[in-house]
Amino acid sequence: MLMTIGFSHFLVLAALLFAIGTAGVLLRKNVLIIMMSIELMLNAANLTILTFARMHGDLGGHSFAMVVIAVAAAEVAVGLAIVVAIFRGRRHVDVDKMNILKH
Amino acid sequence: MSARRVTLLSSRFVVVLVVGLTLGLGLGGLGLGGAVGVPSAAAQAAPVAIKPPPRSATPAGKQVSDRDVVTRRDAAGRPAAAGKPATSKGMAIAFWLFAAITVAGSLFVITRKNLIAAVMGMVGTFFGLAALYMMLYAHFLAVVQMLVYAGAIMVLFVFVIMILNKPEDEPYATTGRAGKAVAGLGMAYLIYRLAAVLVSVDTTVTAPQLAAPATTAQGYDWGSTAAVGWNLFNDYLFPFEAVSILLLVAVVGSIAVARPLKDDDGEVLAADGAAPGGGA
Repeated sequence: MLMTIGFSHFLVLAALLFAIGTAGVLLRKNVLIIMMSIELMLNAANLTILTFARMHGDLGGHSFAMVVIAVAAAEVAVGLAIVVAIFRGRRHVDVDKMNILKH
Repeated sequence: MSARRVTLLSSRFVVVLVVGLTLGLGLGGLGLGGAVGVPSAAAQAAPVAIKPPPRSATPAGKQVSDRDVVTRRDAAGRPAAAGKPATSKGMAIAFWLFAAITVAGSLFVITRKNLIAAVMGMVGTFFGLAALYMMLYAHFLAVVQMLVYAGAIMVLFVFVIMILNKPEDEPYATTGRAGKAVAGLGMAYLIYRLAAVLVSVDTTVTAPQLAAPATTAQGYDWGSTAAVGWNLFNDYLFPFEAVSILLLVAVVGSIAVARPLKDDDGEVLAADGAAPGGGA
């Protein structure tokens, strides 16, 4: 198990990465860290997709991973623009204080 | 002051506990799965004697595993490497190295108070992931990963961090003793469920898993730029076009959101620091 690497090792590693990303989203308050954790989760999903592509000998997974990377780039661009716009008016990026829609 | 410090310390403790539990249970799951499966020494000594993979039960799976066994090296004039999993040891060392880099970098991301340190951990994670993509024969995706993530996206993050440039006073989102208890319990349950899945993972490595993938039907190397491009422009043309529209919308949208607000006379309504009642 230690010296022979199969597909399940990659899948377990992807699950670990996803769990760490989830912990980051739940535990941190800074919007930038939360966005980085979301990137971690997207990357974990990518690793899973590529492992399954290799498992089944299907290159469609590679095309899917390309699409996921492009969507992640678009999400980061829009998300960081929103962060900058929020910081302009409020001088902080703390998600616990962004509650004006709540009241 | 001291109460706040205690809060900070205990929330940090919660983070370390959660992450440690996740890691420990994940590795334990690997260990248990390995104990149930075929021992690795036997797998290395007699790769032929391993039972056939379950996916070869289906016709499509059978075809795939046949292509896996007949590697391209045969045609290249090295028939000795055909059935032998020669890559296992070096691959194992590389896998554990890059997996450690990936996990350590992601732990860095969620534990550091300094945002630049977090970004550097993120870069380490992305490099480790690119190397893992290489190990999965996804050469093109590995290069794209480095260019797009470690290049473009991380530079974007660093830019925004430099623009904001504000240290946070309390980084971890745990409010109150009851909230912490509920969060801890929920997290423990999540980890328990995740670990149950990880324990049941079968880590038996069959010989076709170690063999190099065959070339595609068009004769391209598996995972190369040509192969991925052929697949993208034939089978997944519509998602490709949809992504181009999405990128256009994202570019226009981010510019529209991030530029300073102006009225019709060109007067800036809310620029940096000029917003009235900024903390409201």
